[in-house]
Amino acid sequence: MAERSTVPRLDRSFDVVVIGAGNGGLAAGAQLAVKGARVLVLEQHNLPGGFASSFVRGRFEFEPSLHELCDVGPPDNKGSVREFLEDDLGVEVDFVSVPEAFRLILTDDGLDVRMPFGLDAYIDAIDREVPGSRDVVRKFMDLSRESLDALGYIAEAQGNPDRKVLAKQFTNFLKTAPYSADAVADAVGVSEDAKKLLFPYWCYLGLPVSRINFTLFGAMLHKYITKGAYIPRHRSHELTTALDARIRECGGCIEYNTRVEQILVERGRVVGIKTARGDTIATNRVIANTSPTTVYNMMIHPRDEVPAIAYKYVNARIHGVSSFVVYLGLDASPDELGLDDYGYFIFPHMNTDALYESLQRLDVPIANAAICLNRAIPNCSPPGTTILSMTTLYRPEAWEGVRPEEYFALKSRLADGFIAMFEEATHTRVRDHIEEIEVATPETFARYTRTYKGIIYGYEPESWDGLMARLMSLKEDRFIEGLEFAGGFASRAHGYSSAILSGQTAALLTMKAIREKAEVAS
Amino acid sequence: MKVSVKGHFRDLFAFKRLVPKRRKRILGAPDTPVTSDAVNALARSLHPEAMHLIIDDIRDETPTTKTFRLVADKAAGTTDLAFFRAGQYLSIKTAVEGIAISRPYSISSSPREALDGFYEITIRKKAGGFLTEHIWNTWQTGQTLVSSGPAGFFYYDTLRDTNHIVGFAGGSGITPFRSMLKDILDNDIDLSFTLLYGTRCADDIIFHHELKALARKAPERLKVVVVCSEPDESWKGPRGFLTKDTLRNHVGDVTDTTFFICGPPAMYAFLDTELAELQRPVKRIRREAYGDILDITRYDDFPRDVIETTFTLTVHMGRETREIPAAATESVLVAMERANLAPPSQCRSGECGFCRALLHTGTIYVVPGNDGRRAADKKFNYFHPCYAYPLSDLEITVPKTD
Repeated sequence: MAERSTVPRLDRSFDVVVIGAGNGGLAAGAQLAVKGARVLVLEQHNLPGGFASSFVRGRFEFEPSLHELCDVGPPDNKGSVREFLEDDLGVEVDFVSVPEAFRLILTDDGLDVRMPFGLDAYIDAIDREVPGSRDVVRKFMDLSRESLDALGYIAEAQGNPDRKVLAKQFTNFLKTAPYSADAVADAVGVSEDAKKLLFPYWCYLGLPVSRINFTLFGAMLHKYITKGAYIPRHRSHELTTALDARIRECGGCIEYNTRVEQILVERGRVVGIKTARGDTIATNRVIANTSPTTVYNMMIHPRDEVPAIAYKYVNARIHGVSSFVVYLGLDASPDELGLDDYGYFIFPHMNTDALYESLQRLDVPIANAAICLNRAIPNCSPPGTTILSMTTLYRPEAWEGVRPEEYFALKSRLADGFIAMFEEATHTRVRDHIEEIEVATPETFARYTRTYKGIIYGYEPESWDGLMARLMSLKEDRFIEGLEFAGGFASRAHGYSSAILSGQTAALLTMKAIREKAEVAS
Repeated sequence: MKVSVKGHFRDLFAFKRLVPKRRKRILGAPDTPVTSDAVNALARSLHPEAMHLIIDDIRDETPTTKTFRLVADKAAGTTDLAFFRAGQYLSIKTAVEGIAISRPYSISSSPREALDGFYEITIRKKAGGFLTEHIWNTWQTGQTLVSSGPAGFFYYDTLRDTNHIVGFAGGSGITPFRSMLKDILDNDIDLSFTLLYGTRCADDIIFHHELKALARKAPERLKVVVVCSEPDESWKGPRGFLTKDTLRNHVGDVTDTTFFICGPPAMYAFLDTELAELQRPVKRIRREAYGDILDITRYDDFPRDVIETTFTLTVHMGRETREIPAAATESVLVAMERANLAPPSQCRSGECGFCRALLHTGTIYVVPGNDGRRAADKKFNYFHPCYAYPLSDLEITVPKTD
């Protein structure tokens, strides 16, 4: 095999190389460094974080992607993310709590309601809007909690749960895990009107509730409602810079402006990586904080080391959505503008199948998840100003035909309509106060992170490819020895908290493999 | 609580079938590789990491100013020029006596002309400027250059700005405005634009006839006023500096206007004072980035006691560590460039963060008013070397850049 002999001299060696310093890669790198592994994190951009970053325009520092972190919880009721960061990694982040769950505005239905955090308060609020729904909603939330408990048990059992324990203690979890959030809501008798108040978080997973796996949705909903939501005080850049600092403090290395072009593979196992600069680094363990789609199709070298099953694995799965965000720095205070809430979900209706359908078209968006950052962090911008961002989702294919010369005008046209829709739904006037505006599209997310098709979420967690299906397939999903994945495309699905915890999972699996190999060697 | 979705046994069976079902779907999928990604292709087209360019033509604009027409160097791998927004710049890399440096130059041609295959940059020779001296001596037709993709934020935005814009151009600060005026005509953009152009004397007016010709094409929307500060007797136009009186005389009511300012530092300072009286909101005054600070001691709070001092800068870059001299009155970026470390840089104005570096030890002076650092970067001791000056020995980490 002539091609193999061309593997160049390897310049350096590490126990583990992490490709990409997004949430997943940084979490993996920090976990490995804390555990004493010799780890190198390589990032093609000049900043840590991937989407978890920040950018400055004039007097404003914007949050590019985070709406609210799930699973952080207050210090006296820590969620998994806070536990992992503070207790496992020793990373301190100045988290600020988000005041309310959300304000939901359904323009066609004339619905405009504020939903609180706290299980009882949340159920009370639904019952107030849809009298008589208290019991069924509580049932849905109980099932959600059982999913969460079962996932906790499975994690404790390190992915090898006792089937008898599952069958006995988590029967409802087993019985709901194969179904969608909508199917489970129907099974317990949640009315269509009550569903409207139960399902707005659908957009954080990016597929209709008829297709979102219940386990994942229920666990997410329950965590938000019971533990609240948090954001880092100085945007996500504070979180990811803190992780970067911790990695270096523990002896790990991070190199920026360094794109990995190839993962070098010999006889089915990782032997090193090659950077775009031409440096080669020896390692038997790679954690890829990028999509399997990218890794198998573009990075494995030589190409014939990619087994046919890896292509099938990638092609069988449905890649997630990308995003379109309008960031506004406004020269009036939230009070002056009448922006009373932190998080707004604005949809014409809650038919998520129809909303999802709309994401395929390059039209003015109809689904809007808006954030007024000052409502969680009043001094996030100078006195008398406001940071407001509006996000929608697009199937990336909608953007595929866009030509460079129409790109800037297209952004403006879509942003114009999007802002108008927000103003109409909230009865506010923000347009006259725009001091800074920036618009991110799928192209923008691809520009800064090179994520496949600009996708911000990973593979769609339908039930067949939901959390349980993935976790129970971890072993058979491994096609190249020494290669793990972290981030939104990994086993825990997408969202900040999942991406962070996926890094922990990938790091622990990698440590285990290193230890086992050492035992075999001795 | 006991819940069933489709029946007790059906549900349990469905759970059991999860993994086999997934396996079956995967095995049934095609094993064809993915070979294209149009979204990343668009991203690379709009924001190439680097562009290889050839000087195709050089034009004298004034006795001290030349326009360089740049086309794609196809042999080096650049097939198309990135589209851009009128007002943006290219960061051009060049080597002066073996030392790699880069400088941002506003694109003076229009976005449409990039589609036609060329950019133009227009440079004024500075007396004693070592870089422009070098450019005048060495840049010939046929020479190749490397540049960044188009960058910068000095462009109008129809959602943000008023539809009447007043441009204040000083000297070679005229270059982005030529691009803007051409763009407005090329694309019939719904804007009216009054350009107030301050220059020393008639000989120094860059694009004079061309700007007048552009204005004649749409007199109801485009207006160009040239003001000379030191003209000879033959000059018939307005004299002096650009002031609030220039505004009053040529624009009148400025309630619904947005000011765009590009020129030398002295003009910024002067206009800040002149325009302060008008009490325009922050959003109605947009300034192009200042670029390299010519004399940091101009700032009153710059410590006087270090002016003569040269400190030691320890730079970790990639796997290398170098100790280099760093004069207190030169930016940390320039110190690294002098040592030929080829550090990353783009705006050279403190704002873009492209040169971001980690400060391990030592004290720096950050140029006031242009501290574009992220809040968390301040917390974790990152800084922008282009707008930071050493006040002690420093130890820093800078990412290696191609």
